[in-house]
Amino acid sequence: MNILTGLINGMISGATPILLAALGGTFTYYAGIFNIAMEGMMLSGAFFAVLGSYYFNSWPMGILCAILGSLFMALIFILFAVKLKTDEFVTGIALNLFAVGSTTYLLRQIFDVKGAFSKPGIVPIPRLNIPLINKIPFLGDILSGQNMIIYLTILLTILAAYMIFKTRFGLRLRAAGYNAACLDSSGVSTDRVRTWSLILCGVFCGLAGAFLSLGYVTLFSENMSAGRGWISLAAVILVNGNPWGIALISLIFGFTDGFGLLLQQYLPSQFTSMVPYVATLIALYFYSVKARNKKA
Amino acid sequence: MTKPIIEMKNIIKVFPPNVVALDSVSADFMQGEIHAIVGENGAGKSTLMKVLYGLEHANSGEIFFQEVKIENKNAGEAIARGIGMVHQEILLIPEYTVWENIILGEEPTGLFGKIDQHAAREQVKSRIDEFQFNLDPDSKVEDISVAARQKVEILKLLYRNVSVLILDEPTAVLTPQEIPQLFLELRRLAKNGKTILFISHHLEEVLELSDRITVMRKGAKIATVDAANTSKDSLAQMMVGREVLFSSQRIEQIPGEVVFNTENLSFRDANLRIRLENVSLSVRAGEIVGIAGVEGNGQLELVNCMMGMSKPFQGKIVVNNCDLTHAEILERRRFISFVSQDRSKMGASIKDSILDNVRMTHHRLNPKFTHWKGLLLNDVYARKFTAQIEKAFAVVMGSADNEFRSLSGGNQQKVILGRELLLDTPFILLDQPTRGLDVGSIEYVHETILKMRGQNRAILLISADLEELFRIADRILVIFRGKIVADLPVAQTNIEQIGYLMLEGREKINAAKTD
Amino acid sequence: MQRKLISGIAGILIALFIGAIIMIAQGFNPLTTYGALFNYSLIGLFPLATTLRNSVPLILTGLSASVAFASGPVNLGQPGQLLMGALFATIGGLYLDLPPVLMIPLLLLLAMIGGAMWSGLAALMRRWFNMDEFITTLMLNMIADFLTYWAISYPIFDKTAFSPMTPQISTNGWLPVIGEFNTNVIVMLVAFGVIYFVFSRWTAGYEWRITGQNSIFARLGGCKIDKNYVTVMLVTGALAGLAGGLVVMAGPHRFLKGLGANYAWDGVMIAVVANNGLIGTLLYGLFFSSLQTGALGMELITAVPSEFIQVLQAVIVLVVVAGRGTLDILINKTISRRKAREHAT
Repeated sequence: MNILTGLINGMISGATPILLAALGGTFTYYAGIFNIAMEGMMLSGAFFAVLGSYYFNSWPMGILCAILGSLFMALIFILFAVKLKTDEFVTGIALNLFAVGSTTYLLRQIFDVKGAFSKPGIVPIPRLNIPLINKIPFLGDILSGQNMIIYLTILLTILAAYMIFKTRFGLRLRAAGYNAACLDSSGVSTDRVRTWSLILCGVFCGLAGAFLSLGYVTLFSENMSAGRGWISLAAVILVNGNPWGIALISLIFGFTDGFGLLLQQYLPSQFTSMVPYVATLIALYFYSVKARNKKA
Repeated sequence: MTKPIIEMKNIIKVFPPNVVALDSVSADFMQGEIHAIVGENGAGKSTLMKVLYGLEHANSGEIFFQEVKIENKNAGEAIARGIGMVHQEILLIPEYTVWENIILGEEPTGLFGKIDQHAAREQVKSRIDEFQFNLDPDSKVEDISVAARQKVEILKLLYRNVSVLILDEPTAVLTPQEIPQLFLELRRLAKNGKTILFISHHLEEVLELSDRITVMRKGAKIATVDAANTSKDSLAQMMVGREVLFSSQRIEQIPGEVVFNTENLSFRDANLRIRLENVSLSVRAGEIVGIAGVEGNGQLELVNCMMGMSKPFQGKIVVNNCDLTHAEILERRRFISFVSQDRSKMGASIKDSILDNVRMTHHRLNPKFTHWKGLLLNDVYARKFTAQIEKAFAVVMGSADNEFRSLSGGNQQKVILGRELLLDTPFILLDQPTRGLDVGSIEYVHETILKMRGQNRAILLISADLEELFRIADRILVIFRGKIVADLPVAQTNIEQIGYLMLEGREKINAAKTD
Repeated sequence: MQRKLISGIAGILIALFIGAIIMIAQGFNPLTTYGALFNYSLIGLFPLATTLRNSVPLILTGLSASVAFASGPVNLGQPGQLLMGALFATIGGLYLDLPPVLMIPLLLLLAMIGGAMWSGLAALMRRWFNMDEFITTLMLNMIADFLTYWAISYPIFDKTAFSPMTPQISTNGWLPVIGEFNTNVIVMLVAFGVIYFVFSRWTAGYEWRITGQNSIFARLGGCKIDKNYVTVMLVTGALAGLAGGLVVMAGPHRFLKGLGANYAWDGVMIAVVANNGLIGTLLYGLFFSSLQTGALGMELITAVPSEFIQVLQAVIVLVVVAGRGTLDILINKTISRRKAREHAT
């Protein structure tokens, strides 16, 4: 029982950052932007979350700073890719480099440490105990007592699906991806829609970063996003952007994450750490073979 | 038709870096008139209208709308003022329904930006009824015909209450039989007080439909005339500035042996829909066989199967008694010269040098293009060969090292023709070889094709332009929904008959009934 | 060519200027900082030799990315391919012992095989299962990272060491040093020359280039693009693997933990600023190497942390790349405006 709840809780917290970043990425995916900067946005969010939480001694400020830090990356992306029409792939690469470089630099410059920063002064995002529900055997340990960001993520998944498929913004967002010229000709500026999609992506990736450094653990370490942005990009591509599909696939990745930890009893940790990446490859295999069969 | 609703004064537009698209053009359009703008490709018709619609920005000049000076920064501003445009390449989202496409940009919404689907559908429906368009608001755009899509585009503008409708070559995507319906609708709109600006290069339909006609040539306005006081010949002369050949001198010639043929060629797409069904055709040496058809009826699939880009699930492709059905592309290229309809996507690599574009395919088939058993390129020979094309095909090019895209459209096509025809293959496949070319280049291409016929090559010409087919083809096949539905010698048919076959897939049974 | 040079230099200057503003904002003196930076990387024989030596992995991974991008495949797997190359060379160096004339070429070959094997894996996944190399190479990077980490922690762990690393390879596999200069530069230049020749003069290189620009055209023209795809993946993997082998053979002579981390995205970064041009890759590789080499000296003299260089590099990439497009647009706009004025009068 304990192993099972542990595995499920591990799955949920492993899935959360990927899900949040992927939801951010799905806005840009629908808007027709080849956005590979989620990794950098998340990393920047994680750093500024720790910074805000540590300096203001408050986790809400941590979340706010995370969002601002990630938004700053999004704004650079907007400036280059949307305004100056620089190649999106190139902008994304440069932005990811910039995120790694600047967080490492600031870590050194502000906290005067190399590698990782961890101090009791960093206030983590609290867990939420829901009365009554936490009394339910087994389910109570899963439904209650999770990190607040996790509950927020569930709401945001629903919100994202609603925004994309039911609202005016969603109709225009998807139009920007399907046929930008048509949207422009309909009197809506594609650039503006894309700008908003990137801002949303920044907010979501900021939350993902905040969860990494104030929820999952309470510290910041160099390059701590560790490819999660790439996995979330893969998740978006694998389900063609559908938020519910992203949620499902993030849970699968979260499961492999937790599963990897479980495997550590039998295998060297280096191999268990590979599990999420191998899982991505396997998921991509099924997706690609299916796509090819459909084509042939 | 009292006062001008729109006046454009001294519009100048230069495309970076230095292509003068509009050279101080002035024009005015009256309330409630149907006004045609005619000219050759590249004359500046579309650019002038895009400036009016806010999609392009003039370098100088003024626009007055209802006597007020305006400047449309984008399409949204133009629409807000009541000016709307239907583009040549239809700009709709195939994945959306008709009503979603129509409301896009002007969505009725409720709380939290939620789209009020009910209100939206009702509004769209009432517009459809008001203007007597026969459309289902709930069908997806990808499932409806091209003519219906055009109606959706027009409705999209009417939904926005525009008073001026700009249509960019609306008849180009329609069959001859669909055009009268469009004209009927446009006349009705004009009667209701809408101003219709209509871009075209088909002089007959322009004369039939419009009240006034503005003729453009090379970025300048030549004249605006009343349709009642002009003729096709005088318009044509204004358009091209010289006498036009409306027919080429074709010499009768008896075709030889069958060079190319397909047997029961069938192809299924990704969704297992049949796109080509039992296509059997043959082309003889010294014969030009034309394939007519509305775009999207299997032409693309046919070309792809012939060239080895797609695999047919049944049937055979044979050239000179060699079965090429499953051959590699390079093997096919020993027998087939191919000029594609899309120069920049399939016919050339536009950012590479002319030299690198010219030696494509030859570099594998002709040992003279390489040293060391094909390992190393032979630049000296490739340059000689490029110079040969430059001379033989009258190409205007600077250095062979210039980027391919630095050439004009006509010159690009000449280079591609040169490259392909000098492969010296028995069979030549031409897919809309004159698309997007000016009259002079079209003539040149036609002459070249006829010359190849004179050299006993077998030629298959796929074209959406019926005039072109009637000008040079010996035999016309009609393709309809993936099937060849007619095979007629040119001498025994006419444009009307082919047009009907293209649209209906069968012969007209009773002329009186269908009118 | 001239325009490329101008926009490149202008971009670097603007980026350095932005860097200076960042420094001023933090209370550092930009002039002394830049002075120290280039003093420790370019002035004098030893700094210059170090810059050259450090440029080798940058240029080779950059070359790998440039050739791949210019030919079509989005091979983002240089970090993983570099690690596998380094691992193969290390294993060869640990278990083989031949005279240097044989040993060195053999280890270099092993390194190339290691890299090519790793990129070949991605190529096979593409050919057999249609899996996009853009994602597979990224995931293989992570996997290679953990795989090599495991290898140096258990099977080929140096039992005398406190952190994961291998013992030193046989001295016969060490690259000779001439004065201050390491011969890894010579190996790199030979590799560059070969790749340049193949890419611009060979029939195969011609097909790669055209496929990179327009694969449909190349396919219709009779190029065997599937075969070319695999070749390009193998060649670019071998280049990145060679970079890894050279890192081991020229530097610490063993596989240390985090060996590849420094060069992780540098190859892709250099290809991107160089717009996939081969000469540009060489020049930018040298320039970025001078930045990275001078960073420690800069930290020594001024209080600016060496990590600042990472920020500066990213700024350079953004400014140069954005500047390239913007400059063209600006020039074209000016010409068209002048032309419009001529017609108005």
